[in-house]
Amino acid sequence: MHKGKGMKFVGDSRVSADRTLSKIPKDYSEYPGRTEAFWPNFLLKEWLAGSVFLVGFMCLTLAHPSPLGGLADPTNAAFIPLPDWYFLFLYELLKYKFASGEYILLGMIGIPGLAFGALLLAPFLDNGPGRRPHQRPIAVIMMLLALTATVWLTYTSAAHVDWEARAAMDQPVPPNSLEIDTSHEGFALYEASCLSCHGDALQGGAAGPSLVGIERSAEEIGVIAREGTEGGMPAGIFTGTDEELEQLVDFILTVNEQAAE
Amino acid sequence: MSEDKQQVSRRQFLNYTLTGVGGFMAAGMLAPMLRMAIDPVLQSTSSEGEFVNVGLAVEDITTTPQRVDWQIEQVDGWYQSKPGRSAWVYKDDNGNIIALSPVCTHLGCVVSWEGNDSHPNEFFCPCHDGRYTKDGVNIPGTPPLAPLATYEQKVENGILYLGKAISRKGA
Amino acid sequence: MLQKIYDWIDERVDITPIWRDIADHEVPEHVNPAHHFSAFVYCFGGLTFFVVVIQILSGMFLTMYYVPDIENAWKSVYYLQTEVAHGQIVRGMHHWGASVVIVMLLLHTLRVFFQGAYKKPRELNWMVGVLIFFIMLGLGFTGYLLPWDNKAYFATQVGLQMAEQVPIIGDQLKILLAGDDEIVGAQTLTRFFAIHVFFLPAALFALLAAHFILIRRQGISGPL
Repeated sequence: MHKGKGMKFVGDSRVSADRTLSKIPKDYSEYPGRTEAFWPNFLLKEWLAGSVFLVGFMCLTLAHPSPLGGLADPTNAAFIPLPDWYFLFLYELLKYKFASGEYILLGMIGIPGLAFGALLLAPFLDNGPGRRPHQRPIAVIMMLLALTATVWLTYTSAAHVDWEARAAMDQPVPPNSLEIDTSHEGFALYEASCLSCHGDALQGGAAGPSLVGIERSAEEIGVIAREGTEGGMPAGIFTGTDEELEQLVDFILTVNEQAAE
Repeated sequence: MSEDKQQVSRRQFLNYTLTGVGGFMAAGMLAPMLRMAIDPVLQSTSSEGEFVNVGLAVEDITTTPQRVDWQIEQVDGWYQSKPGRSAWVYKDDNGNIIALSPVCTHLGCVVSWEGNDSHPNEFFCPCHDGRYTKDGVNIPGTPPLAPLATYEQKVENGILYLGKAISRKGA
Repeated sequence: MLQKIYDWIDERVDITPIWRDIADHEVPEHVNPAHHFSAFVYCFGGLTFFVVVIQILSGMFLTMYYVPDIENAWKSVYYLQTEVAHGQIVRGMHHWGASVVIVMLLLHTLRVFFQGAYKKPRELNWMVGVLIFFIMLGLGFTGYLLPWDNKAYFATQVGLQMAEQVPIIGDQLKILLAGDDEIVGAQTLTRFFAIHVFFLPAALFALLAAHFILIRRQGISGPL
């Protein structure tokens, strides 16, 4: 038995020389001499690839800060829940008739269970000796179908979502930074017309977005208060005089100035 | 000495390069994390002690130490709170106001004025029988090794304001 | 000096074979992109592991600032992102790493599949790998809730309702995950935190160890 630094191993395994190699496939040991040491030869190439990857990864991280939405609000009915992108295909699948309603079990457990089960048991389902794709057409075709279906479901699901509008609706509001000046002459007007939707601290709510951090001019706010927004706020919510409108807009702008500090 | 040329073997060269590349990867990965971890160390802690109204008029301060309690605003990362502070306040013989921290310099228990009947005219710590004279100096032979800390103070409109507690050197 | 310490330890526990085995084992040429560029497909497994390392490290550092509590979770993440130097980057690494690791795992799985590398004798290692894939999806799902923002909350709500649909044990399964039969709140968050930070990583470590040991025992599959 060899010990210490002189220990010898066979090929790419821990199997010592005197053990039978019958169970170990002679894959590349048929190509004598065309191997290299793991350390440092192989690992150097591996790590160079890793370095290139790391640079790309850090660029992605720096270019796209991790998103943080607003504090979870269970009463926020306007928010459409959406899973992380790698669950989107399951999410989309459940929209189909055969995968929802009375077939919900099929859509939730049947189809994904079958797919993932087949993936787990692939070596036993595809147990022929040939390794090349054309030697096992059924397995390869099934995989390609499953892959296409997954990609297509993910794509359809993502294409329906207006990501920018989603992000705009779900902005983080700095905690405890706003003290609403309830003595402001515009506050009573805000309370009467806007508070039920936009919240008592302009933080937004079930029916309306946050009014903090908006980038709109006084005129724009005035117009929206009277005429609403396209597809969002209905027209005619604020019905006061022009002078009252001015006070209201001033109130909203004051709060925004405070928030910006 | 001989001028042997130390040839770098191929294996050594690969080893050096490998270590370098590994170092680059580790550094690229760990640098932002370590910077984040040590951020509290690098943040300037020289926050000037803000003076807080402790709700005590100067004319009410006597030569007998009295305990005052007040609250300060504290921002601890994402957590904002109003922890309480307390002090023993009195006027010394010259009429100067002294505000002593009640935190025992031995192990951080809270001392009280004449807290033990057998030691009149002294601050007494109930944990290990630590004792201090009226001016806050620890009495030799008792556990504490330093005098009680004193608060920064100022008087505005006849009201006492206290700031940070400044610890004093051992006596 | 270092050599002496090494010899002292080696004399007693014979550690040389352990690292010699790892350092000196021969790697076949066909997985080396420097010989055939197309061999870069063999890098996906290693890159997956690299991202896992990034995830573990950034996760460890993130828990220095994160609180698993519905009152403070969002505030602590917000503080981390806005007030702490490089906090934004470290959270970004963890956030994007979660996506990149799924991509890399998928590519690695496809490489192994289309090369038929899971065939005898490597069936077990394929199954271990698929289990790692499941664990990763579980980590992604539980990690999504932790910042306690709107998308976290509502996505978890949907996930829990799906768990409820499971026949027979659905209700119990949901309560087990959420900690309460109705509320998705304080108890849900602590449970997801525990699963995300302790239970799943523990399973992941065990499976990764098995994955690597099996690779060493069986070697990399030969060229097609």
